[in-house]
Amino acid sequence: MADAPLLQLQGITKRYGSLVANDSVGFDLGRGEVLGILGENGAGKSTLMNVISGLIPPDGGTMQLEGRTVAFSSPREAAEAGIGMVHQHFKLVGALTVAENLALGDPRWGRRALLRFDELKSSISEIARRLGIEVDFDARVDRLTVGQQQRVEIMKVLSRRPRLLILDEPTAVLSQEERPALFRMVAELAAQGTSVIIISHKLEDILDSCRRVVVMRHGRVVSVSDVGGKSRDDLIRLLVGDDLPVLRPKGLPTEEGRCLLRAAGLSVRRPNGTVALHDVGFELRQGEILALCGVEGNGQSELVQVVTGLLKPDAGRLDYWFDHGGGYPDAAVLRRAGVCHIPEDRLRDGVLVDAPLTDNFLLTHLGNAQFNRRGWLQPAMVEAAVAEAVSAYAVKTPGPRAAMSQLSGGNQQKLVLARELASDPSLIVAAHPTRGLDVKTIAFINNQLLARRSAGAGVLLASADLAEVWQIADRIMVLSAGRLHGPLRVSDTTIQEVGRWMTQR
Amino acid sequence: MSANPTLIAGGGPQMRKPLWWAALTVVIVTALVPALFIVAAGKNPLTAYVALLAYTLGSTNGFYEVLTHSIPLMLVGLGVAIAFRAGAFNIGGDGQFLMGAMAAFACAPLFAGLPQPLGLVLYLAAGFAGGAVLGALVGWLLVRFRASEIISTIVLNFIVLQLLSWVIRGPLQEPSRLMPWSDYLPETLLLPNLIPGSRVHYGLVVAIVAVAVLAVLVRKTAFGFRLTAVGRNPFAARYAGLREKRVVVWAMLISAGMAGLAGSVQVAGIHERLQDNFSSGYGQAAIAIALMARLSPLWVPPMALLFAVFYVGAGVLQREANIPFPIVYIIEGVVILGFLCFDAIAGKKEAA
Repeated sequence: MADAPLLQLQGITKRYGSLVANDSVGFDLGRGEVLGILGENGAGKSTLMNVISGLIPPDGGTMQLEGRTVAFSSPREAAEAGIGMVHQHFKLVGALTVAENLALGDPRWGRRALLRFDELKSSISEIARRLGIEVDFDARVDRLTVGQQQRVEIMKVLSRRPRLLILDEPTAVLSQEERPALFRMVAELAAQGTSVIIISHKLEDILDSCRRVVVMRHGRVVSVSDVGGKSRDDLIRLLVGDDLPVLRPKGLPTEEGRCLLRAAGLSVRRPNGTVALHDVGFELRQGEILALCGVEGNGQSELVQVVTGLLKPDAGRLDYWFDHGGGYPDAAVLRRAGVCHIPEDRLRDGVLVDAPLTDNFLLTHLGNAQFNRRGWLQPAMVEAAVAEAVSAYAVKTPGPRAAMSQLSGGNQQKLVLARELASDPSLIVAAHPTRGLDVKTIAFINNQLLARRSAGAGVLLASADLAEVWQIADRIMVLSAGRLHGPLRVSDTTIQEVGRWMTQR
Repeated sequence: MSANPTLIAGGGPQMRKPLWWAALTVVIVTALVPALFIVAAGKNPLTAYVALLAYTLGSTNGFYEVLTHSIPLMLVGLGVAIAFRAGAFNIGGDGQFLMGAMAAFACAPLFAGLPQPLGLVLYLAAGFAGGAVLGALVGWLLVRFRASEIISTIVLNFIVLQLLSWVIRGPLQEPSRLMPWSDYLPETLLLPNLIPGSRVHYGLVVAIVAVAVLAVLVRKTAFGFRLTAVGRNPFAARYAGLREKRVVVWAMLISAGMAGLAGSVQVAGIHERLQDNFSSGYGQAAIAIALMARLSPLWVPPMALLFAVFYVGAGVLQREANIPFPIVYIIEGVVILGFLCFDAIAGKKEAA
């Protein structure tokens, strides 16, 4: 349909130290086309988009916009040339209204004390009307659902009437119900002549919304094709490489192992007075994976915190396999005894983002005499341990002293996993350990958990992915409004029944 | 712990490397502001500055004075750096300084009869303890009741100031009860002179030892790691079982203890007795020193020397150009502001 393509990339290369994030990447993008960029975590998608949107300068290669060679030195230049990017992590101010967020940092609506909200509203309403969506300008952003917040971000970019809209992992934060609305909007935009690039590591996103797909692996483009032109299996193979990950078959259900954790009558109220947990009791044994499921906000986070020593329950008993002398054992006591914890919110709880990997590793191993001899740190030992973890878990990093923030999300998660499993824990509490990761990393992490289970550890796995739970868990329990259903053997129940529990109030 | 001082001081991997050029620019800007006052006083700023530098850095006597002034600045600055590393704003250096001085002085009669080095060490330990009690109180209020350490340290500054004022007019006043100051410290507890013909005393050795001890503590020990981890991400520290509340209390305790030590050193080395207003705002200067040292103990001494030049220099300006001494507080304020600005600029440059 288009004579000259809107965007042409040739030989785009970007290096970070010895790590080649983009290796001679090139493809074309037509006008009004929806193009998918598919790749695992760390395949170089985000780096490429940051290059296109002017956030980082490439080390080599050329970029042509409508036949003219361009080189952006800032996101503002790219925006002026008609390229708008919606980042995975929103940059909204929660306490402000939608209209105020839209006006923020946009000189068109007035630089000084008085903002021209009327102009802003009429201009943006018009764009929204053409896309068939509604915008409530006076709602406070922190009261909106994540999907609505995303729409505000998109409207903010669209208000500049870009020719190219880039969406970075747009479905990562959306619920299953919110996805179709996003893709309808994308289709409408494309019909009106705006080109859209969707970055994702989820095959479904691309199949549902794009005409063509660019597959990236290890910083290179490995395939450019029509979405219809390749089978689903072909795309998966391109995505993860030839060695498709296969989950280890589940071992036979082990006979009753020793009881690692017995919880009874746990009750927790949140600071706002709502019930997080009500009379929750279960047992976790050696050699099993016990899945904890439920719709988010029904008490799973609180239960994980309670059993990892981070939240003292208002009532109830907790007995671990070791004697912790009455009282509520805190995280220090539990870690010393061999309980590890893969946190739900990695960036908030799990890592020191700006600190080197060595410090991040040491964080939970300070009690280990190997790294801490009578109060004196042993940096050489820590560095060796990190180097070992990096190679054993195939963590992509410039080196053991690189900052955590230099790693992609998947590699950060691998390092956290390596760190937590390094102490040979007896009880592993893993909260959504595979969330937001790509197929290959997911399989890797699940295999690690299975291996620990075979070795006799007990695993409490909080997960929202029932398919995954069915693949690796031995027993399953569900929290709904703080009340526990189960646990039951996975073989004794069905996804439908568990789904019913999850939605019961 | 709503705000995070380790971030202000540019936490992250570059926490260790101070930006020389930023520090230099700050010095130049801070030289320009007082220049306005010198011009206003009808003097030539250039000659005033030449006099300032010639005295502080160009003459032996002047440099000895700088060294003398750097002792309390170094000790209080170290303390502030320790608290900031753990994410706690210790604004109460002045109060803790005075508290240390009072505690040590009050205990002095107990130690006066002991053999020389032992008595002195115990006297200094009492100073440390005096400050540390105050710091532990602040830390406990913070972790137990979430009472902002900024508020409680500031409030304690006023309380301690009044306490000193009462003590030197009441229980510790000199026997004749004429002047609002205490009796002299027993001879055996005075810090001996280090460089004959100057006011430089053995407090300098105490300060250097303190720098070494805290540098090792921060870099080489598990405690130092806990401190820094809590400052960088208290959530992660809690998750990892580092018992972040204890760490914060210990950090405040050590931090305030250093200020208290400085107080006792200052009494034993310079004033030889308690009197009104002998802290001269070291707590404020120490904040600037700690920030400019990027919370690294090893960088505290050079920054403390820089501020000592300001202090001694302000005295020179007063004599040479009739600039009132409080100019030094203006300089301090400009230094803190300037440093934060240039730091932000440098941070942006680094991120780009």
